[in-house]
Amino acid sequence: MLILTRRVEEKIMIGDEIEVQVLSIDGNQVQLGIEAPRSVEVHREEVYRRIEEANVLASQLQGLERLEQVRIENPEDSEPETEEEMEDKEEKSE
Amino acid sequence: MMTEQVIETREFGEVVIEDEEIITFPKGLPGFADAKDFVLLPLEEDSPFLVLQSVEKEELAFITLEPVSFLKDYEFEISEATQELLKLESEEDVGVLVIVTLKEKLKDMTVNLAAPIVVNVRENLARQVILDQEVYPLRHPLKPEPARKGSA
Repeated sequence: MLILTRRVEEKIMIGDEIEVQVLSIDGNQVQLGIEAPRSVEVHREEVYRRIEEANVLASQLQGLERLEQVRIENPEDSEPETEEEMEDKEEKSE
Repeated sequence: MMTEQVIETREFGEVVIEDEEIITFPKGLPGFADAKDFVLLPLEEDSPFLVLQSVEKEELAFITLEPVSFLKDYEFEISEATQELLKLESEEDVGVLVIVTLKEKLKDMTVNLAAPIVVNVRENLARQVILDQEVYPLRHPLKPEPARKGSA
């Protein structure tokens, strides 16, 4: 692993097109500005890890026979809910 | 000429597939970077569930649904990187699947709306994309109907 020390406002270049700038430091929080071509995707690492974990979980579960004859309702009001909203509902129903 | 092959599947035993049916994930899926070739097999006739089965790994399969069948207002932008990777040229080429997670109780099953699978149905290329999890939940509850009941 390459380790570099940078001050606020200083940048590093990754290849010719990707720039990472230290915008501010506050305690143990660092704000970074990233400039990259649109073809490069940038994710927080834990977001990617969460998807990996969800995939592993989804791939492990057996018992597909339970899904036979199961149909999914087509509720007119079924809109995506955020995790926060789901948690709110769980709290209220308790 | 179409070529066929027999693959081992987790849920259906041996299945004959045509090479043209193979959907390739050039980058694999998060957690399964090496799994590139899959086929979609309906769970049963008329079932909304499709099994996304790895061609190479018998034990690797996902249960998926087409979100259009049960969700309204599920929309997201496909990044340029994904458009390029999947050689997407028009909206008509795009198919979307979401992965189902089964729980102990059937009624607790969820779908992953944060990381849908985008398929170029013309080229049979696919990628699982990562959306903003503050907008699209990783675990969206499904409302399964246990068997076909009389209409309410």
